[in-house]
Amino acid sequence: MPEAYIYDALRTPRGKGKSSGSLYEVKPVELLSATLQALQRRQPIQPNQLDDTIIGCVTPIDDQGYNIAQAALLHNGWETSGGSLQINRYCASGLEAVNLAAMKIRSGWGHLVLAGGVESMSRIPMGSDGGALLFDPDILIKAHYLPQGIAADLIATLEGFSRELLDEYAYQSQQRARHAVEAGYFSKSLVPIYDRNGLLILDRDEAVRPDANMDKLSQLKPAFEALGHMGFDDMALERFPVLDAVQHGHTAGNSSGIVDGAALVLVGSEAAGSAAGLKPRARIRAAATVSVDPTLMLTGPAPATQKALQLSGMNVKDIDLWECNEAFAAVVLKFQHELKIPDSKLNVNGGAIAMGHPLGATGAMLLGTLLDELERQDKQTGCVTLCAGGGMGIATIIERV
Amino acid sequence: MIFYKKDTDHIVTLTLNMAGRDTNIINHEVSRAFLPVIEHLRAEKQKGNLRGVIITSAKKSFCTGGDLEYLSKTDDPEAIFELAEQLKATFRALENPGVPVVAAINGTALGAGFELALACHYRIAIDQNTTWFGFPEAQLGLIPGGGGITRLTWLLGIKKAYPILSGGHRYNPQEALQLELIDELAGSPREMLEKAKAWIMSTREARRPWDQKGAAIPGGTAQDPEVAIFLRNEAARLFATGAHRLPAQRSLLSILYEGSKVDFDTACRLESRHFTSLLRSKETKNMIKAFWLDQNFIKNGGNRPKGYGKFRPRKVGIIGAGRMGSGIAYVCLDFGMEVVLKDVSKPIAERGRDYVSKRLEKMQASGRKKPAECEAMLQRIHTTESSADFEECDLVIEAVFENRMVKQKVMREAEEYIDDYSLFGTNTISIPITRLAEGSIRPSNYIGLHFFPPAEEVPLVEIVRGAETSEESVARAFDFVRAIRKTPIVVKDDWGFFAARVQNTFILEGITMLAEGYPPALIENLGVQAGMPRGALSLADNLGLNMVLRYENQAAEHYGSRYIQHPAVDVLKVMLEELQRPGQQKRAGFYSYQGEKATGLWDGLDGAFSNTKKRAKNEELMERFLFAQVLEAVWCMQEKVIHSVPAANLGSIFGWGFPAFKGGVIQYVNDYGVEAFVKRCATFKKKFGQRFSVPSKLKSIVSQ
Repeated sequence: MPEAYIYDALRTPRGKGKSSGSLYEVKPVELLSATLQALQRRQPIQPNQLDDTIIGCVTPIDDQGYNIAQAALLHNGWETSGGSLQINRYCASGLEAVNLAAMKIRSGWGHLVLAGGVESMSRIPMGSDGGALLFDPDILIKAHYLPQGIAADLIATLEGFSRELLDEYAYQSQQRARHAVEAGYFSKSLVPIYDRNGLLILDRDEAVRPDANMDKLSQLKPAFEALGHMGFDDMALERFPVLDAVQHGHTAGNSSGIVDGAALVLVGSEAAGSAAGLKPRARIRAAATVSVDPTLMLTGPAPATQKALQLSGMNVKDIDLWECNEAFAAVVLKFQHELKIPDSKLNVNGGAIAMGHPLGATGAMLLGTLLDELERQDKQTGCVTLCAGGGMGIATIIERV
Repeated sequence: MIFYKKDTDHIVTLTLNMAGRDTNIINHEVSRAFLPVIEHLRAEKQKGNLRGVIITSAKKSFCTGGDLEYLSKTDDPEAIFELAEQLKATFRALENPGVPVVAAINGTALGAGFELALACHYRIAIDQNTTWFGFPEAQLGLIPGGGGITRLTWLLGIKKAYPILSGGHRYNPQEALQLELIDELAGSPREMLEKAKAWIMSTREARRPWDQKGAAIPGGTAQDPEVAIFLRNEAARLFATGAHRLPAQRSLLSILYEGSKVDFDTACRLESRHFTSLLRSKETKNMIKAFWLDQNFIKNGGNRPKGYGKFRPRKVGIIGAGRMGSGIAYVCLDFGMEVVLKDVSKPIAERGRDYVSKRLEKMQASGRKKPAECEAMLQRIHTTESSADFEECDLVIEAVFENRMVKQKVMREAEEYIDDYSLFGTNTISIPITRLAEGSIRPSNYIGLHFFPPAEEVPLVEIVRGAETSEESVARAFDFVRAIRKTPIVVKDDWGFFAARVQNTFILEGITMLAEGYPPALIENLGVQAGMPRGALSLADNLGLNMVLRYENQAAEHYGSRYIQHPAVDVLKVMLEELQRPGQQKRAGFYSYQGEKATGLWDGLDGAFSNTKKRAKNEELMERFLFAQVLEAVWCMQEKVIHSVPAANLGSIFGWGFPAFKGGVIQYVNDYGVEAFVKRCATFKKKFGQRFSVPSKLKSIVSQ
């Protein structure tokens, strides 16, 4: 069976996902285009060598609709040999794209596949695509389908994570991100965004708050309390009657930020890579998804990781560095507790709480960040995992070569 | 430059009056000058001392546009972007002093000048026929730079705003009112200011629609399926006219699409980014060169003989009431002249009046002319069958059919009645002026005035100087052409003059490709894709193959022993002699016809010519089409058939539709790069023959 190698990974900076954000003026297809162009500058590949391009996008309507992957390819005049595909596994989409690419390679039916994701949350707001699971009372009542923030609060309540613990985690994320930015850890894979005249629009992750401190964090209002009191808390309690009440510990400060961005990962077989003159950076050892309780929704990372570890014949101790998406502080903390991962190995350069979570792109971004860090620390193995809507989890294990 | 006056009602009037200029324009200076004024207005508002603001001008016009002088020389993207953003910030501040702002538009407001008016909450204009409104930017390959696209979108909706922005048309006050470009008309400056004050006194709202919560673009954004489909169709429509080759047209649609989905300020920033890239694009630079720099050269009397007083023709005689004569009559009437239209009989001459009145009906229906104006024009035309009626004419133009004897006969008849001070112009396409002038009593007053059909639309006239034509007559012809607002180019009395001679090389190149075996459809399509208005074979049919051959024979005569036969000549002979297909007039040419209408390429072409080359280097064929014309134009410059680069450029664009985005037939070389052009010619010469050899003075000519 051919192995699937990662030949390159790159991403745009993350801009604040609102009209005052720098990337609001950049349409989503341009975000993706910028990464395509950068890839072509960095690697000796020709579009016609690509067997497929798989792009994750969670709100695929309007300018992200009608298969934005194909729009971006044609916008750049890329005539690939295999076309493109836009996928949606909620927040797992960007990583799922990479995993699908790896499966294509390992099946031998694909040789070079581009994977990634894009999300302009400022232009196409989260949830603006509607959806039965999100809005159809018939279904959401049956599934006890909560808004994600309340699911995160529910997890924190069940696990006994105090507001302070959540804030401490958030503070650490900000600190680590600030350090990584200042030390230039991200610059290797970061593709600055320029306008049509070559004038710079954004070259750094915009949402980081270097001035964050515990005092400021503790003063933020719970973000999901009002929503919970409207009835979603009771919906949660119906499924978890053991609880007295849902504690609303999550705030804008310890949840992931809403941002715009795109990312790409170039995956291929050894033969195709060497024929194209590419240098492999890592091997994809295993990939897995799981389904979990839909009300808790965000507890997928641990079981997904275990599934992937099992597939690769590894155990937790074999992994040098971890990236668990910081959708909410409680998600990471639960994952960390369950798998007993030391702080020093997990999200070492901060995460979405500090830098934001461009839904469909995040998985691919995290993979690139992990690979860069493995190389910087000269470590071998890493695992990326994310929780996802609908009660899912995803994990991918890589190993440097 | 901005005069501040406050009245007892706390209404401030800002009067724009730029020193040292005939008109107000929008530049860095004005943009900056407004800021402290607005600052002061806000302070006044804070103190409760401000009820409203009126913006007007001390010049005859309101504000005539942006600073093209500066813009045409700037290439630094940062500087252009900053300029556009600065201007937008000024307009943004101007519309937000916290009180209603009215534009009291005392005269013409175009381009950035009209954007200034759009940055006011309400527009009142004086209803007078010297005033024009609109966005001429599109004609220079540009877009508005001051937020005009976004403001107009918010005021009128995408569907109504688009044609105003894309067409580059100018509108008179009535039309502007109808289009909702302005809100109210006034009869006099005094009434305008009174109405402005009245509106301010009755208005409380001090925010623009885009600054009000919940307000939306009328008719919806591009998220609305109907609007999205509209924009998609307009994108397709660009291909139908070839406008998709103009970056400004693409940018405009793109801004309407994307800009409608983002907030007002972001949409404005998108405009600035497109504006910057357009201003730096070759296409726009070429168009600014042609329609601004070259046009100004001609307007300022370039190639007009110096030292002669200005000729102001008041009464014009026209011989021949066919389409050409009637068209010329219309234009003369339109610019205030009296017209005496003569033909062999009064009823035939009357056809000319009918032609004019039909056209006026259309203009009236579309609101472009007022009934009174049409009435006055029709009263200025007199039809006749007698040359005696030419007696008071300052100029007589003969536009009878292309026959030397007839032309000379009508000339002699007319000359009997006109005096030594009047000019006689002949509208011929191929008969040498010098020969026609033989037998004239005043050959020095005899000149070629070559209009292009339809005369009322094509903005070019070739002034052909015969051997005996005086310099003064050239100057007078020039003044006449300027008086009817057309572009005069002075050319030598050589075969085909300038336009037809150069255009013919395009036709011949296409016919040559047919002989080389290229499929006729490919030849036609690539001609259009190169930017020409129609295919070479279609043009040949339209002109008549005899005519195409005649021009080439005249070239042979001219060059004598140095002439090398053009490969197209053999094809023309086959078409004319063997196949008896001389063109559209005989309903058989390269095309088949049903009546006058071409139904498609003649299916016998495949049998008559080899049609073996199914695959072609499209780029090479397109370049050959343009190179052939460019080289001929350079020969014309070298042989002094035409005397200036601006005249050649504009002549090519207006005369036969050489692509404007290339800047015209000489600018093409600079656009292509002189060295690269010369090199490419050498390749073509080797492959296709001597006709691609480079005239010795090319380099000095194109660098003029």
